[in-house]
Parts: sequence; C-alpha cells; structure tokens
Amino acid sequence: MSRHTIEGFRVAGVSACVPPRSVDNLDPALGFDPDEVRKVVAMAGVRHRRVVDDGVTSADLCFEAAERLLDRLGWERDSVSGLVFVTQSPDYFLPSTSCMLHQWLGLADDCAAFDVGLGCSGYPYGLYIAATMLRGGGHRRVLMLHGETPSRFVDPSDHATTLLFGDSGSATALELDAAGRGHFCLHTDGSGHAGLIMRGGGFRDRFPANPRHLALEMDGAGVFNFTIKRVPPLLADTLAQGGCAVADVDAYVFHQSNRFMIKHLVKKCGLPEDRVPMTLDDHGNGGGPSVAVALARRLPAARERPLKVMLLGYGVGLSWGAALVDLPPEAALLHEDYGGQLAKRG
Amino acid sequence: MITQQDALNWIAEVFGEPAGRVTADMPSGSIKGWDSLGTLMLIADLDEKFGIQLDESEMYALKTVADILAVLERQGALVLAV
Repeated sequence: MSRHTIEGFRVAGVSACVPPRSVDNLDPALGFDPDEVRKVVAMAGVRHRRVVDDGVTSADLCFEAAERLLDRLGWERDSVSGLVFVTQSPDYFLPSTSCMLHQWLGLADDCAAFDVGLGCSGYPYGLYIAATMLRGGGHRRVLMLHGETPSRFVDPSDHATTLLFGDSGSATALELDAAGRGHFCLHTDGSGHAGLIMRGGGFRDRFPANPRHLALEMDGAGVFNFTIKRVPPLLADTLAQGGCAVADVDAYVFHQSNRFMIKHLVKKCGLPEDRVPMTLDDHGNGGGPSVAVALARRLPAARERPLKVMLLGYGVGLSWGAALVDLPPEAALLHEDYGGQLAKRG
Repeated sequence: MITQQDALNWIAEVFGEPAGRVTADMPSGSIKGWDSLGTLMLIADLDEKFGIQLDESEMYALKTVADILAVLERQGALVLAV
C-alpha cells in the first residue's frame, strides 16, 4: 500500500495557464448531432473548452505559468534545483521536454530536470515526487510543472472525447519548510491500461496503419466504473492518513473529469458541495493539470489562514492518487490566459 | 429489495423510457436511451440506489434488460417471484 506522510516541505505557489481560445460545444460548426451534443454537455458539464492554437504545446503553457510564478515569488532562478515536468503530451519523445523548460526558464545547470509520463493522476503524483526530492534528495526548491493538450490528440469525429477535453498548463512551487507536511496515497491498476489509450505513435506501433490509432480511445463506461469504485476509498484513506475528518478539509479539488462523475463522488463521499470547486463548464476536462486550474481559479487568492486541500487525480493508467496538503496564506495562487509573449531564454 | 416490476420501472427511468415499456427480454439496442451515456447513468444508479459496484466483466456483459435484472438478483437486491 502506497500511503505516505512527508514532513518538511510546503507549497509556495500554484500558477495555472490556459489557452485564451474558448470553443463553444454548442457551435454547429463542430459538425456533431445537436441532440447528442446537448446530452454530452448536460452530463459532462462542459459548455466551453479552452483549446490551444496550432503549434502551442503543453510545455508552452507550463512555461508561462512557471515564469509568472517565479516572478511573483521572487525566487532566484539558481535557487531552483529540481524541475519535474508531468505530461503525456511532450514536445518530443526525446529530449525530455523538461530540459527545454529548464533552458527557457533560465535555471542553473546544477538543477535536476526530468519528465514523468502520467496523465489524469499526474498532479498528486507530481507533488509526491517533488516533496520526496525536497525531503530526501537534498533540494531546497523544486518546480513541478504539469501540462496537457488533449485537444491535440483526440479524433475530431469522436464526440465523446472531442467535446470533453480542453488544454491546460500549471506550475507548482515547493520548498523546504520544517513546519510543513503532506499526506499521499498513490495507486495503480495496469489491467485497465486500455481504458484510455493512444495505440499508435509510440514504439509499439510507430507508424500505425490505422490513423485513428494516433488519437485517444476512451472506454467511458469502464473509466467511470473504475472511478466510482476507486476514488471513494482513496479519499477516505487519504483523510485517515492525515488524521482528518471530511469537515476538516477546506477544499476537495478533483481532476476535472466530468461533472456527472464528480457530483456522484461528492454525494457518495458525503462532501459539502461548496468545498468542491469545478471549472468544467468554461474550461473542459484539461487532463491532470485541471487540478491546478481549479485550485488557482476557484480558491481565494487572499487567505487569512492556511487552507487544507485534498488534490485528487484518477484516470489513464489506470492510475489514481491523492495529496492532502496545507496551502499557507502566503502561497501564491495565479491564473492567466496564455499570451505567447513571454520571452524564452536560449 | 425490489420486485421485478419495480426493477423494470427503475430501468425504464434510468434510460428515459416510459414506465411499462421496458421488458426483461429487451436487448440494449432496442432501448434508445441505453447508449454510452445511458450506461454511465446505469452504473451510477446501481451504485447509488443499491450499493452495487460492477466488476469489469459484469459491466461489459450487460447486453439485455435480463442481464441487469440478473445483477440485481446476484447482489440480493431483487425479490424473486414465487
């Protein structure tokens, strides 16, 4: 069982960056049956999706999120000794996109940088990795970037995925703090790996004969069934790991998977609805970084006390996890649309 | 526990069909609302109303109304007629 409490770190800030282009799912130009669209919109809760323009990648979104966060925190670039980029939409298979982000952000060459290939569960996993680097790895400050552009890998004729996904990027800054801690529960069930899959393009099938294998396939019912079985015990275990009751947590920030799914989980877990922020209506399901988007967009930027937040990711893998952390009053929460104007170094 | 008739009415409601139109021998294809979204509604309602969570194999085996009734029966949620 992967349950951990990690002492000695804190979240210094979270920054989200989404594309400015908003696509209306009810736009007839999308070419879907209007009745089907209305059903999907009503169930998934996605009216508008933020979608990148051609040529904009998850790394671009994360770069802007990180640049703004570093500036807000006033962190010297050479004080960051770790960069973790969590994504399933990297710029290249090689090199690791984290190396480019390292250059663009002007970080020092004694900074460890690497990619982590996780999707929907990526946010709590990324926090866990960053926290372990701080606690056990000799680091003082670590950036965890998490970005996805699912709109670039859906089949435009597949309404189930096209109408659901948006794009998003995020940067989360963590640093040593003797008074801070986090609780983590992390899980995997590889038997469900085909529930969300891109069959082609990787080295198992480099140039697939079927072009649809270059797009995401989603077994919606299978993923939903997995979620309602796995997430309630995940939430309960994470509360137990932190020694908390439901009422002790100020916000439960779910991966913005689907409104129907989240509402079902809220009811099943007995959570107060007003502590479950959602961004689905105007952002869509932005993959794993949607946790950071919901956190940065929906939690108050100015806070008088620490907020205890549970951050939950679940999906592709199948992989699921949760982090329970305190968000200090001074932690920065930033959200901006992507502008493409910030200068990349190098 | 519910009777088979109550279960049929519940299944009709899940898929947006008029009460009384759904019968045990109907395949999924003959029920308009039993599409991909309808399947999600079914999975959610089985969990919420009966506390039944399906194994993957059970979920993929749901092809007819009788299959749903069989799940309810196996899980002790259905009163069998005598």
